[in-house]
Amino acid sequence: MSDAQAQLLVMFIKAAAIYGGLLGCAALMTLAERKFSAWMQYRIGPNRVGPWGLLQPLADGVKFIFKEEVTPDGASPWIFRLAPLMAAVPAMLTVAVVPIGGEFQLFGVTTQLSITNLDIGALYVLAIGGLGVYGVILGGWASNSKYSLLGGLRASAQMISYELALILGILSIVAISGSLDLLQIVEGQKGTFLGFLPDWNLFKQPLAFVLFVVATFAETNRHPFDFAECEPELVGGFHTEYSSMKFALFFLGEYCAMIVMACLTVTLFLGGHAVPYWADAPWWIEAGAFSAKAGFFLFLFIWVRWTLPRFRFDQLMHLGWKVFLPLSLFNLFVTGAVISL
Amino acid sequence: MSQSEAKDSGARDTAMVTITINGREVEADPSKPLIAACHAEGEEVPHYCYHPGLSPVGSCRICQVGVQQGQMPPRVMAACRTPVAEGMVVDTEAPKAHDARRECLEFLLKNHPLDCPICDKAGECTLQDYSFDEGQGEGRSVEPRRKLDKRKSLGDVIVLDQERCILCSRCVRFFEEVPETPQLCIGERGSHSVVETFMNRPLTGNYQGNLADICPVGALTLKEFRFQARVWNLHKVASTCAGCSRGCAVTTEVLRKHEVKRFRPRHEPAVNGYWMCDTGRFALEAPNREHRLCGGILRGGSGQAQPVDTRTALEVARDMLIVHGEALIVASPFLTVEEGRELLALGKTLGARPVFLSPEPNDLTDDLLHTGDPCPNRRGLSELGFDALPVEEVLETLPSYESALLVGERLIDMLGAKNLATLPTALRVVLLECHYVDSPSIDVAVGIPNHVEREGTWVNVDGHAGRIAIARPTPEGVWMATRTIDTLHELLTMSAPGADAPGSATPGAIPSTPGAEATLG
Amino acid sequence: MVIVKRKILSLWERLYLPEVLRGLSITFRKMFEPRVTRQYPEEGLPTDGVTRGQPRLVVKDDGNIACVSCGLCEAACPAYAITIDGQETDRFIEREPERFDIDMLRCILCGFCEEACPKDAIYMSNELELADYTREALAYDMEKLKRPASAMRERMDYVKKINDRW
Repeated sequence: MSDAQAQLLVMFIKAAAIYGGLLGCAALMTLAERKFSAWMQYRIGPNRVGPWGLLQPLADGVKFIFKEEVTPDGASPWIFRLAPLMAAVPAMLTVAVVPIGGEFQLFGVTTQLSITNLDIGALYVLAIGGLGVYGVILGGWASNSKYSLLGGLRASAQMISYELALILGILSIVAISGSLDLLQIVEGQKGTFLGFLPDWNLFKQPLAFVLFVVATFAETNRHPFDFAECEPELVGGFHTEYSSMKFALFFLGEYCAMIVMACLTVTLFLGGHAVPYWADAPWWIEAGAFSAKAGFFLFLFIWVRWTLPRFRFDQLMHLGWKVFLPLSLFNLFVTGAVISL
Repeated sequence: MSQSEAKDSGARDTAMVTITINGREVEADPSKPLIAACHAEGEEVPHYCYHPGLSPVGSCRICQVGVQQGQMPPRVMAACRTPVAEGMVVDTEAPKAHDARRECLEFLLKNHPLDCPICDKAGECTLQDYSFDEGQGEGRSVEPRRKLDKRKSLGDVIVLDQERCILCSRCVRFFEEVPETPQLCIGERGSHSVVETFMNRPLTGNYQGNLADICPVGALTLKEFRFQARVWNLHKVASTCAGCSRGCAVTTEVLRKHEVKRFRPRHEPAVNGYWMCDTGRFALEAPNREHRLCGGILRGGSGQAQPVDTRTALEVARDMLIVHGEALIVASPFLTVEEGRELLALGKTLGARPVFLSPEPNDLTDDLLHTGDPCPNRRGLSELGFDALPVEEVLETLPSYESALLVGERLIDMLGAKNLATLPTALRVVLLECHYVDSPSIDVAVGIPNHVEREGTWVNVDGHAGRIAIARPTPEGVWMATRTIDTLHELLTMSAPGADAPGSATPGAIPSTPGAEATLG
Repeated sequence: MVIVKRKILSLWERLYLPEVLRGLSITFRKMFEPRVTRQYPEEGLPTDGVTRGQPRLVVKDDGNIACVSCGLCEAACPAYAITIDGQETDRFIEREPERFDIDMLRCILCGFCEEACPKDAIYMSNELELADYTREALAYDMEKLKRPASAMRERMDYVKKINDRW
């Protein structure tokens, strides 16, 4: 096996493993969502399909496949079909640049546990992640339904508003790391800070962290910012008219986006796969540490959803433009000032 | 004839007197007791021993009302034993009268068992009603109730529950005054009194069933009706008895729109007063008989009976009657005047001779009500122009005709299924009956409703018109008899002989009578 | 008239963060509290005397039912679910049902029949499940309605207690 062949093979294996893991996690997230919500409400949650209900996502998937596909009258047929893909695919693409573990050897090839490693990883994430809103707004528009359209419009307004905070948060990190390469950002967080804390950006940029995490909630349309769906007012929001697998794809996209956002938060603020106080940990320990950190943020998504009520839309806009934007700008300014000094 | 009628005629000769009942001045008949005047005014005075068709005795004392005569202070008097006098001031709701009634009620209830859930009278029991209105919640007596025979058979018709009896003696007086064959008496004395027959002989006569009606409590019940239905579940319709040509006014009582459970006499002074005979009362077999003829039945060339809908059957009947023109129309004596008129018109179109079947008088005739003639509408049909023809004569005459139209219920019974089967096959027989007999001589049969499912008029032996009424829905697919006859008539008129070949008429070509589109189930 | 002024929130409050954290801590704690879910088909519903399930005819210790087919339950039934035909019997009660049908699909479990019954023959049992494949199977006849007194004791005692109150 030549070097190039080996590299190609390794690439495929990594891609398959990471995408398999992503989709598996997304499926498990649907179960986790229901389980955690049940526990928080003194309930048991799904426990009939498989042990502890572990096969519930499979059952749901089968159910989705067998559901009737409904296309409303007057829906734009192609865009109506395209929109779920537009929602699901960008979220999946983003995960390609997230470094999940450190270096390891496979078939004589030394590689990173990430599909690829771009110099402009952070930029790639923002660029591709920003496409996700198209799925929502196209789906809302193509459904030929007032509820869907309003849901889509809200989603786009909300995503644009909070993307600012998200980008400015990333910018602060990029500023202190001096690189757009996510691996570099992770490497920069190894070691200790003030002698006892792990050298995570969380401690250097606490304000940016808070703004970033809240913005991720808004970006993924999760509670308390799920205005795109907003059941009490808009029936189901942008996916009111969707059924069967197309509906499932929207949710796959949402859960993939959550996973990607969790990974990104970990990478940018919690040292990614870096294990605190153990600089040269083997790659699988690093992958485990990364999973644990990401897992916490995924849990946070669920936890917040079943704790907080939904905002009002004007409050959301107020928070986005009048609080988050100034704070982000202020944070970036201070960061720049400190670095230049 | 009946006692009440005699009383009614007597009343007209007496001058009326003016009395005051509950503040209203009213005219009252002095030949009747005060309670009758109160009831005529719509005032409710409870009564157990008093019955308008019987002589008053005043044994139960529950009818006490306040009466003021002249300058005397008002007194409580039994309204059934008080004759009406000029200037009487009656207060049926006087507190004293209520007190007196309540005390009487308590005495009556002292030995009356609390078995209303079992008792057949429950629901139409005046003791129950009045106890509900005014009775005490709990009895004050500590003595045990009388233990007596609860299931004493009094012949074939009546069961006596001695415990329930309140000794009103209505039943005793009934036998003395109405059939005038005294059979019951109050035996023993004082608190041991019971109603019994002499030497425990069973009751006889054709009027025993009335005992169950007049008994104000559930002491005398009909064996036939015992535990058959709760009276509040019965659908009650005012109708006329089909038992004989007297045509007693009755109430037809049907359980769950299905089974006729009993006939009870209805007050009709001109005909039967308050009574009816047991023959009519227990004539439940005919209206309840199963296996009704629904829709029509044709017997084609194959000889097989083939069910069709009513209209198709009538069309075939029409063809048959046109081809075989010389027809005899035989009506059942149960046909109403309205149906008779339709049939007569049909006969005129057909040029056929209408007769009605007149069976032999039976030996049930008596002086009171039963005429012995089993034709309830003999007079009505005769006056319409039908000839009465005895059964044998009909059977003898029929073979000389080309076709026969037999209309009305119980014709098969009266003619005899065997006799029908021996009719010549050349004779075309169209039968409109409630039931069907699989006989080769019957070519077309169409179902009609029986006398509890139709409405119309029967004229009784004295010329009194009695209405019969619909007590339950007709079986599915059965048309009203008038509509069936009328439709057949119309079909005949539409196709005058020669203008239309038999059998060529299609249902669509015939202007339908209203609702004729309804097909059979 | 009371005018409640909207509270002007400070920036910190408008960020909601302290309250959010408090809320999160509450939901987190609740996750470890005992579950109240009942695993229904395996774990039956708890019933006691107050439970008003499907009506049943109580079979007394002598093997008979107390019903005299008086028809009061039939008359009381607001849903017309009950149909009774009576017949004569040699037993002391003279009259017993020949047919006692309750259409369970019509029955609304109101308990009027129990209240109307003068003979303590019909009681609301603790049977709540009602499922079958045909409508006919859910029109219960007398045999299906019979239930031994031992199984109905709790309800009978409860009704007696309630009735003794007045």
